[in-house]
Amino acid sequence: MLKLVGVRKSFGATVAVDGVSLEIKPGEIFGLLGPNGAGKTTTVHLAIGLLRPDAGTVHIEGLGAPDSPSVRARIGVAPQAVALYDLLSAEENLEFLGRVYGLGGRRLAERIAWSLDFVGLADRKRGLVRTFSGGMKRRLNLAAAVLHDPELILLDEPTVGVDPQSRNAIFENILELRRRGRTIVYTTHYMEEAERLCDRVGILDHGRMLALDTVPRLLAGLGGHPVLVIEQDGREERIETADPLAELNRRYPAGAVERFRLERSSLEQVFLNLTGKTLRD
Amino acid sequence: MAAVFALARKDLRILIRTRSGIFFTFVWPILMAVFFGLIFGGSDSGSSRIRIAVADEDGTPASRDFIARLAKGGNLDLDLQSRAEAGNLVRTGKRTAAVIFPRGFGEANERLFYGDPPKVELLIDPSRKAETAMLQGFLLQEAAGNLQRLFNDRTASRNMVNKALNDVRQLPETDAEKAPLNRFLSELDQYVTTRPEPASGSSASSGWQPLAVDTRETRADRPGPRNSFEVTFPQGILWGILGCVMTFGIGIVTERTHGTMIRLQMSPLSRTHLLAGKALACFAGMIVIQVGLFALGWAFFGVRPTSWGLLVLAGLSTGIAFVGIMMLCSTLGKTEQAAAGAGWALMMPLSMLGGAMVPLFVMPGWMAAASNVSPFKWAILAMEGALWRGFSLQEMLLPCGILIAVGLVCFVAGTRTFRIE
Repeated sequence: MLKLVGVRKSFGATVAVDGVSLEIKPGEIFGLLGPNGAGKTTTVHLAIGLLRPDAGTVHIEGLGAPDSPSVRARIGVAPQAVALYDLLSAEENLEFLGRVYGLGGRRLAERIAWSLDFVGLADRKRGLVRTFSGGMKRRLNLAAAVLHDPELILLDEPTVGVDPQSRNAIFENILELRRRGRTIVYTTHYMEEAERLCDRVGILDHGRMLALDTVPRLLAGLGGHPVLVIEQDGREERIETADPLAELNRRYPAGAVERFRLERSSLEQVFLNLTGKTLRD
Repeated sequence: MAAVFALARKDLRILIRTRSGIFFTFVWPILMAVFFGLIFGGSDSGSSRIRIAVADEDGTPASRDFIARLAKGGNLDLDLQSRAEAGNLVRTGKRTAAVIFPRGFGEANERLFYGDPPKVELLIDPSRKAETAMLQGFLLQEAAGNLQRLFNDRTASRNMVNKALNDVRQLPETDAEKAPLNRFLSELDQYVTTRPEPASGSSASSGWQPLAVDTRETRADRPGPRNSFEVTFPQGILWGILGCVMTFGIGIVTERTHGTMIRLQMSPLSRTHLLAGKALACFAGMIVIQVGLFALGWAFFGVRPTSWGLLVLAGLSTGIAFVGIMMLCSTLGKTEQAAAGAGWALMMPLSMLGGAMVPLFVMPGWMAAASNVSPFKWAILAMEGALWRGFSLQEMLLPCGILIAVGLVCFVAGTRTFRIE
């Protein structure tokens, strides 16, 4: 669906994206995971033609390069900043954006109604955006991205500053879009979100793609073994092992252990193993 | 094209919902135009009479008649009071002056060529000397008119001469003036008795007059505003346009800082569509200001264009010029505060120099010459050309051409430096 080959972009002496290659398949949710400043937003801007790469190519299957207006009309974007007009109502924002994307008449009215219903804001359609909470604005931001029913949707950190209730609502919306066959690129620095939502994840740092695979494969290949945590006589012992049950039986054959738990490896651990630092450093 | 109209409609909708934008774009210009129009004299249909207090201590038919004629003259607004109250009204600034008719005014009024003349007292506000001089002129004019009426009325003039003769005959023989006065008055009596009556009606105007003043209305022949609103309404429009320029210029910066410009850039809109939408919204706002203010001026303040066609030309040229300036202003700062500060710093001197505050025709020579650098000057000149300067189409080409050129140069400069982020 979307293919980046050897894409590089610099701003002065700063290399924002350094030879990134990836191919996103139709109907999948692809996560771009990385800390702030890793190059996620620049990659999104390159993918939609907002920036021209210094080197490499960006190609959208069946459409071509994304810098032409006709190709952009097939892409939906929810920018990282809540890019809405505070002095317009939710409905007026969508009406304006719909016309920008070439919608009109009954089709526009239908899409506005569907989008507002999709994000659960139908009852607030006449409210000015400036009266909305942060979560409602994020949901409307998502509605604006799907308004024109695009095949490819890029969501740039769509849950930043959102309350748990709105975050769950946004997750449900994204999963629903996948069920409808849409292709989604999802950037985030929250590993839990990537693990929960994404079919495949690319891990970015300093503009370079460090790893790219499905979440289970990344965990298996780069996350290390699970950690068996045993509590006995007020002490806690941590044992990294490929076979926790066998290790437990070996150490406590009579079953005289007070308490134990198993910590599975995570994308946080994958990132730590890849870069030597945590995502939040 | 539908997307361009959608952009323009969105921007105008936001303008309407921005209180400060609405105030400075639509309300403030009206206040300025009407307020300064009234201060500078208002329309020529209004009253400009001098308000004075009058105290009649004489109370004779002569004093009452004099006061009535003063009131009838149409130049004075009289307020009959006691001497003390009349003085208070002047002292507190509520009246320009007070005229006191003391006892003996009527008796002195019946004497001619001898004794003390009829006397009035004038209490004046020293800060209003020009109006006081006018008032003295009105009083002397009325006194001369009184004399004129006496001479033109045979009965009244014979009675006056006979009374004077009787008074002269009472004088002692040793009085040096008795004989010549007696001789003069006797001959005057003979003249007023035997002279032919004035033409029918015996009106003062048809007989002898000390001075005949022929007043003609010349206003229609001279090139100048018919009233002060024809000067202040173009100025008010320029204030509205200034508000529009700043609101839309800062609005573009706001789109950048709030991320909506990025969203538009991500959409199928081309850069040309984007700029065209912004320009169209700003242009439409300026046209609304001009149409609104001229309609108001036409309906209520006597603003009458000499040519509607040339006024439309002036309005369109002004719109083009200031749309370009708006684009340039939007590139003056990366934040709203920076753009607003730089925009006002640029626009205020240009507006003051260009006649948006002080009318062009009252500027000293050096300032009028310096005003050529200001687009405000050419916009006002174009509007005044269509309103009261009586410009021909050829004469309009200079200001309108300069405005269009300024607009295009600024628009190109602004769009070339225009940044999305």
